Order: sequence, then C-alpha cells, then structure tokens
Amino acid sequence: MAATSSSSSAGESTQANSKWLDAHYDPVANLYAFSSCVTLADLHGDGEYKLVVGDLGTSWHDMKLKVYRGTDLLSENALPDMPASVAAFLMEQHEPRTPAVAVASGPFVYVYKNLRPYFKFTLPPMEINPLEKDVWEQAKEDKIDPLSLKEMLEMIREKAEIPLSVRSLRFLALEPPEMGAFVNQYKMQPIKRQTVITCMATLKKNMADEDAISCLVIGMESNEILVLDPEAFTILARMTVPSVPTFLDVMGQFDVEYRMTVACRNGCVYIFRRDSKRPKYSIELSSQPVGLVRVQKNIVAACSDQTLQGYTQKGKKLWTVSLPATPMTMSLMEQKSRGFQAVLVALANMEVHMYQDKSLVTVIRTQDVVTSICYGCYGREDNTLVMTTKGGGLIIKILKRTAVFDRGDASTGVPTAQSIKLNVPKKTKLYVDQTLRERECSVAMYQVFQMELNRIRLQATRTYAQALESSLTPITETLQEPLKMNAVVQGIGPTFKLTLHLQTTSATRPAINLLISFLYDEGLYYMARPFFKAPMLVPGLNYPLETFVECLSDKGISDVIKVFVLREGESAPLLMAHINMPVSEGLAAA
Amino acid sequence: MGLEMDPLLHAWSYFRRRKFQLCSELCSQLLEKEPGDQESGSEFTVFQAAWCLKIRALTEMVYVDEVDVDQEGIAEIMLDENAIAQVARPGTSLKLPGTSQGGGPSQAIRPVTQSGRPVTGFVRPSTQSGRPGTIEQAIKTPRTAHTARPMTSASGRYVRLGTASLLTNPDGPFINVAKLNLNNYSQKPKLAKALFEYIFHHENDVKNAIDLAAYATQHAQFKDWWWKVQIGKCYYRLGLYREAETQFKSALKQQDIVDTRLYLAKVYSRLDQPLKALDVFKQGLDRFPGEVSLLCGIARIYEEMNNISAAADYYKDVLKQDNTHVEAIACIGSNHFYSDQPEIALRFYRRLLQMGVYNCQLFNNLGLCCFYAQQYDMILSSFERALSLAENEEEAADVWYNLGHVAVGIGDTSLAFQCFKLALTNNNDHAEAYNNLAVLEMQKGRIEQARVFLQTASSLAPHMYEPHFNIAVLSDKVGDLQRSYIAAQKSEAAFPEHVDTQELIKQLKQHFARL
Repeated sequence: MAATSSSSSAGESTQANSKWLDAHYDPVANLYAFSSCVTLADLHGDGEYKLVVGDLGTSWHDMKLKVYRGTDLLSENALPDMPASVAAFLMEQHEPRTPAVAVASGPFVYVYKNLRPYFKFTLPPMEINPLEKDVWEQAKEDKIDPLSLKEMLEMIREKAEIPLSVRSLRFLALEPPEMGAFVNQYKMQPIKRQTVITCMATLKKNMADEDAISCLVIGMESNEILVLDPEAFTILARMTVPSVPTFLDVMGQFDVEYRMTVACRNGCVYIFRRDSKRPKYSIELSSQPVGLVRVQKNIVAACSDQTLQGYTQKGKKLWTVSLPATPMTMSLMEQKSRGFQAVLVALANMEVHMYQDKSLVTVIRTQDVVTSICYGCYGREDNTLVMTTKGGGLIIKILKRTAVFDRGDASTGVPTAQSIKLNVPKKTKLYVDQTLRERECSVAMYQVFQMELNRIRLQATRTYAQALESSLTPITETLQEPLKMNAVVQGIGPTFKLTLHLQTTSATRPAINLLISFLYDEGLYYMARPFFKAPMLVPGLNYPLETFVECLSDKGISDVIKVFVLREGESAPLLMAHINMPVSEGLAAA
Repeated sequence: MGLEMDPLLHAWSYFRRRKFQLCSELCSQLLEKEPGDQESGSEFTVFQAAWCLKIRALTEMVYVDEVDVDQEGIAEIMLDENAIAQVARPGTSLKLPGTSQGGGPSQAIRPVTQSGRPVTGFVRPSTQSGRPGTIEQAIKTPRTAHTARPMTSASGRYVRLGTASLLTNPDGPFINVAKLNLNNYSQKPKLAKALFEYIFHHENDVKNAIDLAAYATQHAQFKDWWWKVQIGKCYYRLGLYREAETQFKSALKQQDIVDTRLYLAKVYSRLDQPLKALDVFKQGLDRFPGEVSLLCGIARIYEEMNNISAAADYYKDVLKQDNTHVEAIACIGSNHFYSDQPEIALRFYRRLLQMGVYNCQLFNNLGLCCFYAQQYDMILSSFERALSLAENEEEAADVWYNLGHVAVGIGDTSLAFQCFKLALTNNNDHAEAYNNLAVLEMQKGRIEQARVFLQTASSLAPHMYEPHFNIAVLSDKVGDLQRSYIAAQKSEAAFPEHVDTQELIKQLKQHFARL
C-alpha cells in the first residue's frame, strides 16, 4: 500500500529525517470519527488488516460503517443511529478466525460478520416508575385529560427516585395544544425506559492469545458497565460506576482475572477488578478526561486543562506534563518488534505528540486537527498510524523500519534551561581594587558625596526656580492650568513647518482662553501668524497646532524662536519654549 | 634691508605655519605687482608661484577631509536607486540593523538610535540617525544635530562648507572658474592639481572640477593615479557610484595607497555592500599591516552592522597601533560601560581626559561611569563640571537628564523630578526625560499626567520601546486593554526580544480570548 503514496505537502520538508513515511493523505475522505469509532482488524482472515470506521457523517442521517482496504473504500453499511464505539472481536473458535465487528449505537450493539448484519443486541430495559405507569394506564383509558397528566408527571419527576421515561419527558416539553395529539399517538404502546451506550471495549474470555475469544464490555449512560458473553450475548457481569463512563480500558481475562479502568464524565477514573461490584480505586483528575490509555501497568490520561497525567494502577499520581495546546484525542502506540510503547496525543494546534512516560519523544505535524488516532497493523504493514481529521480527512503514515525512538529525542525538559550559562561578565581586578578603596575611605567618600549632593540640590532647585519664574519649562505645574507643550520642526527650508503639541494634563477640566505668540528675529524669519488663539483643550487629547516659518536669510545661519503660551488678560506667560531652528538648506541649494 | 624676507618665502612660511589668511593676503599683494621682474630660465614664474600658493592657502582654509564627511541626504536615502536587494539577507546590509549577531548587549541595556542601531561611543556624521524609514522621520530635526538632513549631499551641506569664499571675499571670488580655459591648465600638471583642489574644495564646482580632471588625466595618458582618484571623488559627489568604483579600482592597480582604499570602501558602503567594503579594508590590511584608518574603517562598518563585539576587537587593534586614537578609546569605553564594566569604561574615559579632551560629553560620561562603578565622591563633581562646560542647551539637557538618573538611583525623587524637568527646559524634545518623568508621575499615582508624558515621549521617539511599554502597562492597570494591546504591539515592534512586553501581550491575548 505504500506504493500508492500521495505524499503531502507539509511533510516534505521533514521527509528526509522524519521517522514516518507519508503513505496516504486524502483531505476529502469524508470521514468524521473519534478514536473510539476507528479500529483495525483482519476481517477476512487473510492476514491483510482493514480499517473499520464508524463514520458520524455530517448530518443526522448519513451515519455509515465504512471499511477501507489500502487507500480504497471496500464497503459501506448504513447505520440507523450515531455510532458510539466500534470494536472488532472474535466470537467463536471456528476456522478461519474472522473477527466480527460490533458497533455500539444508541441502546443497541449491532454485530456484523463478514460485513453483513448478523445480530442485534438490545440493552435490557430498565425499571419503570410504577406511578408513571399508572398515570399512562389512566391516559390510555381516557380517564384523565392531557393537562392533569402533565401535572401528575411533573409531580412524579420531582419526587420519584426512578427517573421518568423518555416519552414522559418529551411530553412534558410539549406546548398544551400539541399534547392531545401526542397522547393519542403513543398511549396504546407500552411504556419503556432505555439507556444508551457511551463506550465499549473488548475483554479476552479465557485465553491471553491474540486470536482468543473476546467479550464485549459496554459502558452505559445509566452508570453501569456490562460484560457480554460473545456467543450467547448474555450478561456475564454487571458493575455500577459512580458516574457515566466515557472511556474504558480493560486488561486480563474474564475467567481468570481482569482489571477495568473507567474514566467518567465527572472527571474521575475508577478501577475495577474481577468480582468487585464497586470500584476498587478511584483517581480524581484535575479536569475532564479527553482520553485514557494504559501503558504497561500505568494509566495515562489526557485532560482538557492541557495536561497529560500518569498514574499507577493503584491510583497513585506519577507525573504531569503540560501540553502546548488542548488535547483532542489520544491513543496507544506499540512497536511490538522493539517492545516500545508510547502514547500519541493529538493536539488542537495540528500536532501529534508522542510521549514515552513524561518525555516527549517526537512531534508529528499534520495538515489539519486530528480527531481520531489508531495505531497498529494495517494492510500487511505492522506499524501504521491512521488518523482522521476534523475536516474529514484521512492520514496514513507508516513508521520507518529503521526508526528508533530514544527518550531524549525532542524533549523540552527543564535541564537544558538549567545548563545554559548566563553571560555575566567577570568582576575585574580593577573592580576589586575599587571596592578596597571604598572600604578604606568610605567615610571620606560619603562626606564628599553628601556635600556635593547638597550643592547639586541647591543648584538644581535654583535653576528650576529660575526656569519656573521665567516660565521656561514646557510643563506648567499650576493647579489652574496644568499644560504641557512640545514643538517639532519639520522641513529643510526655507519654509519650515512648526508643530506645537499642546495638551492639558488635567484629568477633568478643559483649558480655555489660551493665546499663543512667537518671538523671533524679524530680519531672519517670517511668520504668517505670529499670534493666534488656541482652541479649547479637552483633557486627554493632543492638539497639534501648525504654523509655517519662512527663513529669509541665505547665509546659512539660524536662530532661536521663542513660543509663549499666554492666558487671556495676563501678561506673564504660562509656558515658554525655545525652538532651535535648523539651518535652512533650501535656499542655498536652489 | 637684508633682513627683509623674500615676500614669496614669507608667504610660504605663513602657509607652513597655517596662517592662511595672512598668506593669502601676501600673495594677493605679490599678484597685484606687475608680473615684470621675472627670472627667466626657471619653469615657473614668481607670478605663477604666488597664484598657486594663494590657491592652496584658500583651499586649506576650507579643506575638509573628504573621507570622513559622509552624510546621506534625504534625496539619496529616499530615492536610492543603487540598492541591490530590496530585502537583503541578514548580515549583508547596513539598512537592516536586525538582531545583534555579535552578542552585544540588548536594547534594554544599551539605547538605540532612530534606526534601531545601538548608540556608538563617538559621534560621526553618519552615526547621527542612520537610515530613517519614512520621509517624516527623515525631515524631522534629529536631537543631536542642529540641522535637518541636507536635501542632497551634492548641494546643501557642501555649499555651506565652501561658502567661505562668499563671506570673506567682498570683491567676488578669486578665480572665475567659468572663464578659465581648463584645457590649457591641464597641460601644466603641477598648477592643475592645485587648481583642481581649489575648484573642488573651495568653489565646490564639481562639474568644472571633473572637466579639468578629465583633461588632465588625458594629458597624463591615463597614467597618473592621482587624477583617477580625483575623478572618482567627483563621480562620488555626483552620485555615480559605479563609475567612481571603476576609477578607484583602476587607480589602486597603479598605486596602492590607503586613501584610495578608504574612498573605495566608502563607495561600497554607500552602495549598501558592507561585506565588500570589509573585503577592501582587509585586502588593504594585507598590504599595509596595522594601518589605523583601515582598522578604524573595519570597526565602524562592524559597528553599523550591529556586530559590536567584532567592532570592539578592531578598535582594540587600532589602539595597539595608535594609543591616542580618540574614537577607538571612546567606542571601547562605551562598549565596556554598556556591558556592565563601568570601572573599565572609567579607565578609558580618564585616558581621554589625560589626552586633553576636555568637554561636556566626556565629563558627562565620567560622571555616569563613577556612579555605576560606585565611586561616589567623583560623581557629582564630574557632572558639575559637565554642566559648566555645556556649550549649548542640548548638552546641558543631557547632563540634567543623567543627574536625574543619579537622583533616582539615590532615591531622591524630588531632585529627580527637578532634574528631568530641567532637561526638558533645556531641550524640549528630550523623549527619555519625558518617559522618566512619566514613571515618576506614575509612582505618585497621577495617572493622567503620566499618560500625557508617555504619549509625548512615544510621539517624539517612536524608536524607543520604553514609552510604548509604559503606556501598555499603565493602560493595562487602568483597564483600557485595547489601548494597552496597541501600545504593547508598538513596543514589540521596537524591541522584539523584550520579555516583559511578550508577557504582557500574552496576558492580554488570554484576556481577550476569555472574553
């Protein structure tokens, strides 16, 4: 199958040193599935493994069971409802050993043999609330009208321990005019309460071989787990879980000893053993699980808070790795020839990370967000990675036979950061000498410094006061008119653009009645408007006021232009700025 | 009577003593006499000698070393047709300062110029502002220079350097170049050279100069390298860099001298081919080992390419050859200062002081070095001296700004306040002072004021990341996330490696995603 490789574009750059061969990529395969609905199985017993996918479809009615051989679609069976899980298992000992495909969907398990429908298993009906039954009996005999029926059902819903059936719940959701028709339509049929399947797994019956008979293990919405007999489809065992199971992982043999790991919707993982009706251990995850995988004797769970967590089978936490993006799904990767086991985690950033324990071994970049991963034997190739994407694409990659993974491959652990040496310059001998001097003459140095500091303070204050008196600062500090100004000169001459940026620093009060005037050498410069009124300054806004200055001299000399910001009716300026005009280059060049 | 010197010898003596004005006057007197009493037999008449001497005196008065005067005008930068690659690969262009490859200190420690290059320790014509990105930046008056850029280097700046003739000679120019028969002069090589320099430097008449040079080189049968170099200089002035390159190369083949190499390297760096310029210098070093101007040229190019450590190495080589090279000492000093070794920088600056450099900038640097090297007894006296030596308001502003830093360092915020305000009083466009003032205001809790100052700082100096980042932090605190994000992005553009900005952007993005 590798011969028909249509290599993908994203893989090309890393093709040479990648450990994976891009065997097939079909972005429009129209496969929408989660990891639980994808499995690989040798359906015809000829040693060529097929890909079995329970396709969710794009709308509510085109659910299909699809089987791929190589890159082609082999068969398609329409499914009556959404598949929850797909599993391949051996039902009987006959030769040739061809596994059956079980598709869990709604309250049923459809079993296909040789890709033909073979058997339909229905979950046992659940106990019905006797009160509810009575009420419907009355309705059947037309003893009560729909409105009082509704009242009674509501009462039952609030008080009863056994929940209402689906029919009653649907009835309660109806508007009064529709009720009559609904009652008439359904009242003659017996009332039933059914649960649905949430997850499914397989468990070897009494032998550990590859081709041994397996039981089906079913998790249900009613917080229960069933183990079914493969031949008679009778219930062999029934267990109760504190919450709704979402992921199942089973090891061992039913008749000998087995261990069942169940991740539940409440964010807990429960561990069952043979003959335990209640969970033996429980693990509280930090967040809802996205996937659950058992690697040898440890449990690895990807959680929706972007972490990957490892636990022992007794529920002791081993490690936590934070992931760069939200995990979408995960799967076990087992390279049997090298005895290598790792966990594949698909992330929302279009990458698939491979972890061995807590160390990142390799990263696979994909063309789309991967929603399901399945690793195993496909066709005749032992190590194949099959992924379907959010957009309905199908990616098949083959592990190179020469590929060897070692732990430190792509790990981004802490140790590398720790080993980087910081570029701290060495302290020089000069520095040491100076510190000696400091130690010896500390008193003298301090005295000199303090004296000079005082002198500088005096000088600064004096200059500052001077500047304030002559309003030289570009910022006013008065409480009435806190203003700020700065000027920018643009141009090369002889005409310059002088932009004054005026702004009030007060938080609430606008500045009004301001005048701007310029003082300059009239022989050197010409200004069209040497005096104008500033607009009202609204707080928080910067007002660029532009004027044009023309340089009249061609001697290559420049002067200072003074800008005053004045208050109407006051002679002392609020603000003053000196603008050093650039030399006019324009005239000389002309 | 016997003691009376021969007037021509007297003029010559004046010339040797660089009293050009007196020399020129004496020559004028000689020239006014009738050219009658000639000594026959000699190749030159006294008249010719006096004329030649006067020309040389006049040239020397306005002579500027052509190698060092190099500032690109607006026209050359914005209408650059010589650029070879629009998007040059990193490390091959002067236009993209890019990330520092030489392992120099980051922007957080060493401030940068408008174009994103670390500031150098020595102000040269081309270090002022690098290459601005936009016309607006180009025509804004840079803070360190008193004038905007010249419009084109071929006209504005050089005319002003050469306008001595207009201002000093009320009767008009000494020689009317337009009326000269250049072909005649080119026959007399010795006169021609003096005349060329006069036309080129004093009159700044490149067109006539190149005519004269063309005649002369023809007369010399293209065997005189001097004329080739002069033609190259003229071409360079006219902006014909490729032609200048061929002239210089041809001259180098005839006579390998340092000056020509410097011109050639200058052509290459103008063509934005720094690596080729480095090649020229390095070949020159093989020929003239240890030549200071070549070493210095290499160091300057490395510095412009942002490879500070390589530049420092070459500056050290310069000092090995010439231990009084001011530029090298200043650059190494500033490099040490910004790589956290102020005590060594102090040594270098003290050396400058011993050499007789006595100006505001030096004392300013000394004060800063003392402060960071904890030599407290010398800080303030240095700054005081710098203040008294400040020649203009910009220099005073810088001193006050640094004093403000010292005040912040010793925790005296009111003094810091006054110092930064005084910096602003002296220089209205001091963006750094605005920024620091804003930080002080922010500490006082006057958010509105701080915001205004920061906005001013960011509009004055968009190349600084600090005001942008401070606006981002301030807006984030107030809850104006949109503005904070915009400012943070500007800060990231100015300084992509700034970790705090990245953190802030990440935090803001998370916040937006959550909403």
